[in-house]
Formats: sequence, C-alpha cells, structure tokens
Amino acid sequence: MDLAATIVLNGLTLAALYFIVASGFSLIFGLMRVVNMAHGTLYLVAGYVGYRVFEPLYDADVWWAWYAGLAAGIVAAAVAGALLQWVLLSWMQGQELRQALVTIGVSIIVADQVLAIFGGTPRQFFAPDAIFGSTRVPFVGGYPTFRLVQIGIAIAVGIALWLVLNRTRLGMMIRAGVDDREMLGACGVNVPRVGIAVFALGAALCGLGGVIGSTAQPLALGQDGRFLLISLVVVIVGGMGSITGTAIGAILVGLAEQIGQAMFPTYSVILTFVIMVAVLALRPQGILGRA
Amino acid sequence: MLSVTDLHVRFGEAHILQGVSIAVGRTPLAIVGRNGMGKTTLCQAIMGLVRSSEGAVTLAGTPLTGKLPYQVARSGVALVPQGRRTFPSLSVHEHLLLVARTRDAAWTIDRVYDTFPRLAERRRNGGTELSGGEQQMLAIARALLMNPTLVIMDEPSEGLAPVIVDQLIGVLRTLEGDGMGLLLVEQNLRVATEVASEVSIMVTGRIATTLPAHVLAADTEIQRRYLGVAAGGHH
Repeated sequence: MDLAATIVLNGLTLAALYFIVASGFSLIFGLMRVVNMAHGTLYLVAGYVGYRVFEPLYDADVWWAWYAGLAAGIVAAAVAGALLQWVLLSWMQGQELRQALVTIGVSIIVADQVLAIFGGTPRQFFAPDAIFGSTRVPFVGGYPTFRLVQIGIAIAVGIALWLVLNRTRLGMMIRAGVDDREMLGACGVNVPRVGIAVFALGAALCGLGGVIGSTAQPLALGQDGRFLLISLVVVIVGGMGSITGTAIGAILVGLAEQIGQAMFPTYSVILTFVIMVAVLALRPQGILGRA
Repeated sequence: MLSVTDLHVRFGEAHILQGVSIAVGRTPLAIVGRNGMGKTTLCQAIMGLVRSSEGAVTLAGTPLTGKLPYQVARSGVALVPQGRRTFPSLSVHEHLLLVARTRDAAWTIDRVYDTFPRLAERRRNGGTELSGGEQQMLAIARALLMNPTLVIMDEPSEGLAPVIVDQLIGVLRTLEGDGMGLLLVEQNLRVATEVASEVSIMVTGRIATTLPAHVLAADTEIQRRYLGVAAGGHH
C-alpha cells in the first residue's frame, strides 16, 4: 500500500513538471502551428541563466536566492522565445518543415554554447528553506515538500492558463487565431505581435519548468533533448493545443514512467512509447485533440 | 473612396485577376459574375489576404498594396468573407468584444444588439451553435463594429433563406446613411441590384462592363450573356 501510494505520488509530481513544460509547447503549437524543436533548449537556457543568478546569492546566504533564480530563468526563457519567433520563425510563417529544421539548428547551437560557457558539470538549485525538507502525507509517510509544491505550481499554472485563455483579451485573440489566423488579421488584430506574445508566454512556462525541474533533479546537457521528447509525447497523447489534454497526457506519461520503473525497470522507457503508439493507433488526434 | 487600378493576381501559372480596375464611391458598388471568375480573389487581394503581382489599391488616397491584413483593416477596410468564417471558439459576445474599440463610434455593441436582436439572444452561444443566417449576421456585425470606411461583403446572401435575405437587404441599405462605403460581391442578382446603384460584371479576371443597377435588373439579354441566368428567374 505504502509503496503503491509512493509510486503514484512520484508519478504525479513528475507529471506536474511535464505539464508545466509541455503546456508551453502546446500553447505555441496551437496558435502558431510551429513544432518548436528548441523547446527543450528554452528549458536549458532558463536553468543555466537562473543558476548563474542563483549561485552567488545562495553563497551569500540570501534567503531569496532561489526566487531570484526562478524569476531570472523565466525572463531569460521568455526573451529567448520571443526572439526566436521575432528574428527567425516569423519570416517562414506557415512553412512547418523549415521552422522545425531551423529550431533544431538553434537547439544544437545553443547546446554547444551552454557547454562552452558553463562546462559539463551538472548543476542543481537548492530550494528555499520554506519549501525544503519533508511533509507527512497519508499512506506515504515523509515526502519531499518541494515535490508537493511542484504539484501545487502545476495546478496554479493550469488555472492561470485557463483564465488567460478564457477571460482576457489576449486569450480571445489566441483562441480566434487557432480557429482562423487570416480572419483574425482581417479583424485588425496585429497577428505577428500576438505570435511573439504567445511564444514568450509558452517559453516562460518552459522556463518555469526549467528552474523547478532543475531543483528537483540535476541540470545538465541532455535535459533539453529529454524535455523536448517528453513535451512531444505529452501533447501527442493529450492532443495538440488543448490544455486539459496536455494535463491528461502529462499524468499518463508521468505515472507510466514511475510505475514502469518500479515494476520492470529495464523496459520502463518503452511503456511511454507504448502509450503513444496506442493513442496514435486508436485516436490519432490525441485524447482531447480536435480532428 | 476605394480605388483599384489594373490589379493582377497570379497563383503560380494561373492568372486569376487580369487587370481589374474599379472605383467605389459614396454609393454601394456590386460585382456579379459566375463562379470562378475571380470575385473572391479580388476581395482577398484588397484585404491583403493574397498578394497581387501588379497594380494598386488605395483607400481615400492611402496605398493599401503590400500591407498585411491587420494593417489594411486598421486603414479602414472590413471584410465579410465568403463562408462567413466566424470563430468557432468564441461566443457571439466575444466576437464583438474582439473588434469593438471606441464607445463614441457610429457602431457600438449596443447598436449591434439593437439591429440584430437575434444576436443579443444568443450572445453566450459559440460561433458554431448558430444557424447560417445568425452566423452571417455575426460576420456582418463583426465587420460593422470595426467602423470601417469601406465594407467588402463576399456573397453575404449565400445559403440564406429568402426571408433572411430580405432582412439582409434592409441592413445593407442603411450603410450608406452611416457614410460607410460598400463593395458587394454577389451571385444573387436581386440582392446586388436592390442594394447597389451600380453593378460591375466580372468575366475571367476582368471587369467586362459596369452599368446602373436598374438597367441590369431590366435587361435579360445582358443577364443571359454574362451571367447565364434564365430570364425572370430571379424575381
């Protein structure tokens, strides 16, 4: 009982991180139809820039070191995402293959630059005292507080995204743009600018995931590829462009990884892809995707 | 108001618009013609939705050629596109909020709801839950709320019941009084001739002739030659 509960909770905390990262990917794809192969790169950028801000403050024993690192990481990712769209991708609007190749190129270049600047040593943030340590959870016992906070942040992100999409003018423009980009432009909306805003928002979510993820587990090269792959699987399973679908996809993938690692560690990696293949075979548009 | 001079549009090898010139003044101008003559392409080219290869479009002297659709819209042109193209994810009210800007303009959200009471009843419904006529009213309301200098309407009567078409004609006739220009593309000759004072006939990417609406309405020979309609079939 205890073990099963622990595995489920582990799966959910992992799912929380996956949701935060993949929701940004899904948002960008939904409006821009860009398969952003540099999404994992935004995770890296947020992690390393955040760490550069975090480290000296942490050494100086400042209590808000982690929060400063978090803010720096989010801002860095948002700026990088906005620049990616504004400088590179806006020139090839609608050419999906070219955009995918360009973003792959960007991800390779940035990964090498990260290696040159920061070296290959893994880094890890230390969570502030308030959310460090452990909390007693029924059926599980002592559980890292930060991982519970991670779930809370994911829920907050989900609610915030829902509010932005359904209760703000930007959200109205995003939904209309997903339906019919051309007509949104003909209504006098500066679609290129909305695109940059959406890219910045999606990248900021990825940046939030980058700092949170690098607090829960080490940050190193290779995480970019891992989180890109996970974002792809999560949105393929859940359905491109649907926030609820992304949440369902993240939970499925997170649980599958943890259950797989506990039950049959050697083949656990396969389980994720079995889910993806099954969804693609039975419902190619994803669980909540529109046909 | 709107002036289109020698406009050409090519899609690869296909030469869709072959030098169209029209001028829309204070009174509505209608363009009629059979399917595939380039009427919709003309609307899209004016709006900036397709690129023209030659020619110029100006609105009250301001060049529109080469501008992006949102820039054309902000210069004062609104489009009611063929097929309505309302947004399925937005409610009726959200469509109006999206385009409404100022409170002291001629068309406000309140005036839209006064003019189209049916939209007021359905303000919370999504864009796909409306009937064809309601969607058309919404597409028109969306364009009017932008308070443009000129509205382009691409086959607004398409697929509408006759009683709704009569309502539509009533609404279109009020636009001139608001000082709004109207370029009306129609398959329905009755709508074209009852709304516009002048009608241009488009044949294979060119304007074949322009004549007063009452002349076209009465001349079955011209109707048969350019439009292939049976005499009297539209009244």
